[in-house]
Amino acid sequence: MSGIYLHIPFCKQACSYCDFYFVTRQELREQYVERLLQEIRNYRDTDYTEEPVQTIYFGGGTPSRLGVKQIDAILAELQRVFNVQASEITLEMNPDDVTADYLSGLKQAGLTRASMGVQSFQPELLEFMHRAHNRDEALQCLELLSASKFQSFTADLIYGNPNQTAEQLARDIDLLLQFDPPHISAYSLTVEPRTRLGKQVELGRINPPEDDIVADQFALLNEQLKPHGIHRYEVSNYSKPGMEAVHNSSYWSHENYLGLGPGAHSFWWDEKPRRWQNVADINHYCSSEDVAGETEQLSMQELAEERIMMGLRTKKGITETELKSRYGYSLNEKQWGYLQKKQDEGRLTLKGSDFALTETGLVIADAIILDLITLH
Amino acid sequence: MHAGNPANPMTEIRNFCIIAHIDHGKSTLADRLLERTGAITERDMQAQILDDMDLERERGITIKSHAIKMDYERPSGEKVIFNLIDTPGHVDFAYEVSRALKACEGALLVVDAAQGVEAQTISTLYQAIDQDLEIVPVLNKIDLPGADVEGVGQQIVDLIGCDHEDILHVSGKTGEGVDELLEAVVKRIPAPGRENDKPLRALIFDSIFNTYRGSIVYVRVMQGTLHKGEGIRFMATNKEYDAEEIGYLKLKQEKTDKLEAGEVGYVIGSVKSLEDARVGDTLTTIKNAAQEPIPGYKEPQPMVFSGIYPTQSDDFENLRSALEKLQLNDASLTYQPETSKALGFGFRAGFLGLLHMEIVQERLDREFDIDIITTVPNVEYEVHKTERGEQKKVIVDNPSAMPDPSKVDAVYEPYIKASIITPSDYIGPVMKLCQERRGIYVNQLHMQSQRVEITYELPMAEVVFDFYDRLKSGTRGYASLDYEFLEYRKGDLVRLDILLNGEPVDALSSIVHRDNAYELGRKLCKKLKELIPQHQFQIPVQASIGSNVIARETVRALRKDVTAKCYGGDISRKRKLLEKQKEGKKRMKQVGTVEVPQEAFLAVLSMDDDQ
Repeated sequence: MSGIYLHIPFCKQACSYCDFYFVTRQELREQYVERLLQEIRNYRDTDYTEEPVQTIYFGGGTPSRLGVKQIDAILAELQRVFNVQASEITLEMNPDDVTADYLSGLKQAGLTRASMGVQSFQPELLEFMHRAHNRDEALQCLELLSASKFQSFTADLIYGNPNQTAEQLARDIDLLLQFDPPHISAYSLTVEPRTRLGKQVELGRINPPEDDIVADQFALLNEQLKPHGIHRYEVSNYSKPGMEAVHNSSYWSHENYLGLGPGAHSFWWDEKPRRWQNVADINHYCSSEDVAGETEQLSMQELAEERIMMGLRTKKGITETELKSRYGYSLNEKQWGYLQKKQDEGRLTLKGSDFALTETGLVIADAIILDLITLH
Repeated sequence: MHAGNPANPMTEIRNFCIIAHIDHGKSTLADRLLERTGAITERDMQAQILDDMDLERERGITIKSHAIKMDYERPSGEKVIFNLIDTPGHVDFAYEVSRALKACEGALLVVDAAQGVEAQTISTLYQAIDQDLEIVPVLNKIDLPGADVEGVGQQIVDLIGCDHEDILHVSGKTGEGVDELLEAVVKRIPAPGRENDKPLRALIFDSIFNTYRGSIVYVRVMQGTLHKGEGIRFMATNKEYDAEEIGYLKLKQEKTDKLEAGEVGYVIGSVKSLEDARVGDTLTTIKNAAQEPIPGYKEPQPMVFSGIYPTQSDDFENLRSALEKLQLNDASLTYQPETSKALGFGFRAGFLGLLHMEIVQERLDREFDIDIITTVPNVEYEVHKTERGEQKKVIVDNPSAMPDPSKVDAVYEPYIKASIITPSDYIGPVMKLCQERRGIYVNQLHMQSQRVEITYELPMAEVVFDFYDRLKSGTRGYASLDYEFLEYRKGDLVRLDILLNGEPVDALSSIVHRDNAYELGRKLCKKLKELIPQHQFQIPVQASIGSNVIARETVRALRKDVTAKCYGGDISRKRKLLEKQKEGKKRMKQVGTVEVPQEAFLAVLSMDDDQ
């Protein structure tokens, strides 16, 4: 089983916090799609096409900058080259691009899941994030989405913004809940150095909120969503039972995936586990034969640590059985002692060889992961 | 005037050193002498050849003495052997300087024509005069636009009572005046005594340790002759060896069969390690041994003490062997094992001064690659106490060993006499600094060229912290400092303890004056709060005197520490970050349940940064 990620790097404008690879020039779209189809064809008859493709994910950038025909062509090419048996095909979209026709077109093209970049309904926060849409567009778009009968849809929220209050976040959640979303991703704002936000923080013009405030909002999300049958299943992801994102979950369990398009990452584990990234430059992408950057070979130790790192971020947690059988990694006595201690503190549950972080553990997951890995 | 057979005349010898302040161009001038005498060629010329330890080159100061032999040919065609013995240039190494001087008959007093005479120069100069060395005054850097040949010349005249005509004008950089200087060395500096037939007395003025060859001892033969293979004895330690290899100190070592009176050379013993060779000791032959050693040998006296602990406790044995090796070429380093509740097994080391301490720490890190934690340096205290009606005196070189205040009658601390030379514009800042450090004003002397020598009596403990740096920054680098031990004096001193999470951390204790304790405690808690990372629990940081808590801060518990996203490319990035954090975590010291970074143990030294 594998997944395919397609990076669509076009955006109307630059969001202040975003450090994904994107361009705001739209005129390269045609050429880009041609090159993307070419990149797909380059995989024809390689070992990569043997595994059935379970998920396809259009991420960005802003994939909704492409028209239905272009999405359709890409999916058709994937069908021709790969053994596509996809149960989940997701496309990220921004409210300002979405119309009823667009959604029905996508549905016809085979899309099963829409991911809506809402981020917030508060005008001042949207402005702070430098988003291209406004509150009304977001509401209309969700209206259309809930009526569109995709198998699933999700909406993104960003919390922990400077000066954002718990009440503001609670209102955002309430508004979103009106549309009965099967899935929500809520990210606490991360200040990345090479963004407009990062620069402003560096210059002292903006102060990120205190950890206390963000921690409270982290807890608030789960409390407010729970009564609606929506549960946190990963640090930043919430869903109704059975509606978890399959593609994203496969990242966390080291399933194989290919990333296509400029800046996309791939991970493939056959004899030699490895990860590589396409060069993050659309001009290079459109004009070069070889777009893959350097390949990073991963050792079993590195993979095991990654698995612990990603597994502990999920509610499901990890089992030592899996660490042993897949990675040859056994927990030592100190590590077991540490897990026991964290269980006593209520930050972790430990059942036999299974362990997972609780809500109070998840909010400091990085510290616990670091402790656990350092003890090895 | 040649002794011995006229057909095989004994070549004349001149043994001399250079007395100069840091930056006054000693090394450049030395390079020039080596070049002119052909001791080195342009090709193997590596700038400032005498300072060959990396650290020395970086800091521009000589830490250990070195020596080099040059074959000088006079314009008359006569050949003269020069032995240039380099001297350390820092107040911490005053004893090494005195022994290096003892090996010479003369000294070049090198003064920067733009900077003038500095405190350090004066103290070394007086030692040289005490030892009856012929002083050859040299004004260096006369090529500089700011050179004040007249004014600085007058300073020299005032200092040593010579005539203006006696002062040589030289530029180490351009080479101007170097030929005259070489001739002056021959003409003015006396030849050494050449009593080859007397019992051997060779002064050890330095020893270095070489991984392959063991200890190499540098000697100046004062009288007698040392032959290759002879049995030798170190008179202070009474240890005996065979002089397996002897030779001259050229750029590379040059083997010879004998070292005669007046000559300078090296000795390598039959046993790899000559750990019994101490700088200042006298080497003699076992047969026909000298009756008396050369006077003036002293055991090195450490002035500053600090705990040295391995960050990883399993590095303890590595640390021990590293210290052993360091001591082989640095006999003034002392150490003994000690145990700290907070830091585990380590050593209490004694140093000549703060610079010496820093050098040892850096060498442990660079040459032995051992991650260490050092505790705040302190001086040695005399504690008077009464036990069962009996008065006792104990020496305390570790704050945590200071007895309970209720059991102490009095604490005495070492005082030094500090001499500071500064341009008169900076008298204010200098005096302010000395007053802040509990200094007692003695006097001030106005010198030539708007310069003042200020004398203070200061508690040594106040100088070991960051006095020198503060002095330099307060005077834009112009002031120079020299000091000597004065005496022990009674002081109102208390032990300031630090508690982390309720547990006292012995390695963070310090001995301070009662008047400063509150402010220091408050600042220390504040600094520690900054340095100790957030944990999953809250950590109180307290300062106390005895059971009395005088300051408190809290390192708050971690509330949120989780990366928002972890998809595709984030995974590698996050794993790499994790690996980096893992390394950082390993460098921290686990004190009870608290992970303390190395810097925290020296927090008290960096507190002034916030002011």
